[in-house]
Amino acid sequence: MDATIIGAWVATGLTLFIFSFLYKDNPLFKLAENLYVGVSVGYTIVKTYDTVIVHLIWKPIVENHEWTLLIPVAIGLLMLTRYVPKAAWLSRYAFAFIVGVGAGLAIPRTVSSFILKQIEDTVRPLLTLVPGEGAAFSWNLLNPASSINVIIVLIGVSSVLFYFFFSVEHSGPGKTVARTGVMFLMIAFGAAFGYTVMARMSLLIGRLTDLIEYSDPSYGRPTLWLALVTIGTLIFLSRRAHGEPPDHH
Amino acid sequence: MTFAERMLKIDRRIIFVVIGLCTLLPLLYPVGLPIKVSQEVRGVYDHIESLPERSVFLLSLDFDPASKPELYPQAVAILRHAFKKNLRVVAMTLWVSGTGMADELLTKVADESGKQRGTDFVFLGWSPGGTAVIINLGQDLYNAFPSDYGGKPTKGQPVLEGVNNLKDVAYAVSLGAGNPGVEAWYVFGKDKYKFELGGGCTGVMAPGLYPLLRSGQINGLIGGLRGAAEYESLIGQKGRAVAGMDAQSATHVAIIVLVALCNVFYFALRRQARQQGSQS
Repeated sequence: MDATIIGAWVATGLTLFIFSFLYKDNPLFKLAENLYVGVSVGYTIVKTYDTVIVHLIWKPIVENHEWTLLIPVAIGLLMLTRYVPKAAWLSRYAFAFIVGVGAGLAIPRTVSSFILKQIEDTVRPLLTLVPGEGAAFSWNLLNPASSINVIIVLIGVSSVLFYFFFSVEHSGPGKTVARTGVMFLMIAFGAAFGYTVMARMSLLIGRLTDLIEYSDPSYGRPTLWLALVTIGTLIFLSRRAHGEPPDHH
Repeated sequence: MTFAERMLKIDRRIIFVVIGLCTLLPLLYPVGLPIKVSQEVRGVYDHIESLPERSVFLLSLDFDPASKPELYPQAVAILRHAFKKNLRVVAMTLWVSGTGMADELLTKVADESGKQRGTDFVFLGWSPGGTAVIINLGQDLYNAFPSDYGGKPTKGQPVLEGVNNLKDVAYAVSLGAGNPGVEAWYVFGKDKYKFELGGGCTGVMAPGLYPLLRSGQINGLIGGLRGAAEYESLIGQKGRAVAGMDAQSATHVAIIVLVALCNVFYFALRRQARQQGSQS
């Protein structure tokens, strides 16, 4: 049998088993869920072994005699001493190396990218210089660089920062500023939620598109047959649960 | 029990059926709602369009099958565009669980466009280290990836002629479903090695990346399935993303209606409780 057809049956079955959770928790869902976890972990282990151990360590050392690679290998192996209580202290050298290198690489780059660049963008000039016309104020809300948007961003950043400034009581004018900050936060949460809904619906569309494609006779109509199997199993499990005597524990 | 109370306690499975039908029916009977191309998606398209032939285009497919419905159509559309423009495509992934899918995707689009592995494109695969791989690529591509996904040495491949590190890349796009993804490519790649960068991401991530777009840290952003549909419209090759847009719109309308109804019922109940309170 063609691998594509087997793949279509497996994908359809697992999709329907996962969807069966929308009715209620059941063994088919558990089967698909555990398979997903097992397969993804297994795949990751095999790919990591092949790429790291075989291609980046074993082959360069044995075939190309790149002996310097033994230094990172030794540091990496120190991690495994965590499993030997008496030698566990050795793993601290490996952790210290990772934390040191990680922090050294990440801190300057993160400060530059997320703080300095963003501050630079927040404090843009309120007026733009137009050749021949002098300073101009643009009201176009659709242009992210317009003067009105610069003011909105400035008010939004300042008010949200003030809202999270807890050393001063939010009363009087401070209350108005904090409330403005809350409004900006709510708009941001709304936008994030809207995008999340869109993303989740996209996932559903993706799976349904595949189910429609796999209902084709060229695949042997797995969508139809496996939907019947799933529904049949759910009915059987539901009837069996009703037939069982109540638990008296 | 009043009507509003009954509606607020409705079996959630009825809502699942409504959403399911709103998704399924437009997929079976598409109406072809118009798709407006946004400025952020056009940013990526215009930059690829402006590149001269045989420029080096780096595509980092930083996602795994869990994000396939959103990012796979984006990758297909961008690759079709890059191959149509006759760019040299250097693809890779920072997600180990996405390697097989990325290779399958690249091979499929390359075959469809008549492109040769090693001459027109290369898939470097995955290398451990996450963000450190980007820094390594910035220093020496051949050290980060001594061999490609198929085990062939990267040095000497015609597609990588004149390419030593990220500074030799004309344009890079990261299609990211999380970390490492677009942000990592900016922080450890563009900010340090100064090349032009665009991004693609899942819908959930898009609001968090807009500040990078506004400040010019990335020159374009393709957000979710909608972004993919816009890109498909721009290259004139409508695919799975465009086909899904009717369903997307229908489900959004259904959710807006459900949220509005819930609010109506909630306020009706609150008013009812207030009236009962004032009577007693």
